[in-house]
Amino acid sequence: MVKRRDFFKWTGAAGIGVATMGWNPLASAAIVPVPTNTGIKGRVVVIGGGMGGATVAKYLRIWGGTGVDVTLIERESAYASNIMSNLVLNGSRSMSSLQYGYGNLASRYGVKVVKGDVVAIDPIGRKVTLATGTGYAYDRLVIAPGVDFDILPGLETAAAQAKVPHAWKAGAQTTALRNMITAMPSNGSGVFVMSIPAKPYRCPPGPYERACVVADWLKRNKPGSKVIVLDANSEIIAEKHSFEEGFALHGIEYRPNWTVQSVDTSTMTLNTNNGPVSGTVLNVIPPHRAGKVITANGLADAGGRWTSVDVLSYESKVAPGIHVIGDASATTQPKAGHIANQEAKVCADAILRLFSGRAPDPAPKTNSACYSPITFETASWLTVTFGYDPVSRTMVPVPASAGEASVRSKDNFEEMNKWFTALMGDSFA
Amino acid sequence: MKRRTLHGLVLALASLPAFAQTTSAPPPGRLLASNCYQCHGTNGSGGVETIRGESVSEIYNELKEMQRKTRPEMMDMHARGYTDAEIKLLATYLSKLR
Repeated sequence: MVKRRDFFKWTGAAGIGVATMGWNPLASAAIVPVPTNTGIKGRVVVIGGGMGGATVAKYLRIWGGTGVDVTLIERESAYASNIMSNLVLNGSRSMSSLQYGYGNLASRYGVKVVKGDVVAIDPIGRKVTLATGTGYAYDRLVIAPGVDFDILPGLETAAAQAKVPHAWKAGAQTTALRNMITAMPSNGSGVFVMSIPAKPYRCPPGPYERACVVADWLKRNKPGSKVIVLDANSEIIAEKHSFEEGFALHGIEYRPNWTVQSVDTSTMTLNTNNGPVSGTVLNVIPPHRAGKVITANGLADAGGRWTSVDVLSYESKVAPGIHVIGDASATTQPKAGHIANQEAKVCADAILRLFSGRAPDPAPKTNSACYSPITFETASWLTVTFGYDPVSRTMVPVPASAGEASVRSKDNFEEMNKWFTALMGDSFA
Repeated sequence: MKRRTLHGLVLALASLPAFAQTTSAPPPGRLLASNCYQCHGTNGSGGVETIRGESVSEIYNELKEMQRKTRPEMMDMHARGYTDAEIKLLATYLSKLR
């Protein structure tokens, strides 16, 4: 048997090349049969086919069996991964390589995939209605819409948003930001300014990672260019050690406690609590809230932005029968794809127990893990495990399990590609 | 409906089984072991390394060894998130998967 340590060496060289050559990154994932004999029966509608929604749909079927009817409603025909999308900005990945369709969920696990837009939720009659008028009845509803963004003054129009993209929901804006970076002046006079909203926002290390990846690319391709990071938070909120080193390595100018208040796209200026900042490329990540299906249906009971949930089942504290997982829920856990996948498993297990007349698992564990590229070939990592605390009724970090990489390395970068492939496989394949 | 009334109703409903318990309980360790699958593949198969079907002692000893590493890499840190009882539970579950 190949030992774990050797496995990484043994497969390391193949990872990136293979992934960029059009090889199906999900091909090697295990296909688990859907059992026919669990005796569990129920109807679940899932709204949103991201990391949480895809995973909960799959696990409801492989754990619940054919008696559990699962309908996944999603607006898009494929999910564009936010994880790894910062590597589109330095040209090492393309947006087309980050697309994950729903064919496997349908063909392998019998999930009914419906492309559509939800316009109404009836929590009493337990029914979801699409824009087409079609209704879907449920016994349990799972909502996993991810995040939406505040519209800052000056960014109300589509034209303004195109000029100052957030690129924090991977897609056309990611490619647009890449094009803006490559169009920066070659003489080193360009300034890339990005802003980070106050927490909680999606992927805590992500903005710092982006600053590093962009600065690294500019250093090698447009030397002399400047990168300025305006952070509404008082310090780097994730992987502080790794990013302090990364910022020093790349000469990034980091300004904590700088909050963007409005944007002037005619002069390419950000107005902040500490005065104006101008740049050649402006990348403003606005404050977040749960996706519109949450806020538009009266489910954003936590600060008007998120849904508060019982973390034993992810059932909403205000809407019985409705579970909210991933970024849209207000919990002590980070808003990120890896942990959304685990929240989905906790939710699926709880729903199946509830269908069987049982209580949810009283002591669930979840884990968060990710890698962050610091240069085009090195990465750091971050991880923490959470356990349920019955006194506070929250998920609390296990202190000994919380940590980040002591050094950035090429090994971490190779492991990052394997982690990403495995995570997407567990969610979509 | 007032929130308090709603909560009371929810609690009352939750305490009544929706169906008689005709189904068998989920296997112990199934949910816990699913924490491995983001990296080790669904049911511990594929990913960075297949772990399903390894013996209980093999999985247990490896995780305990990781907990003791003085310069921990990611998996060494992750291993520290689980108690002895939890490690035995997930190892037992994974060892039975085929």
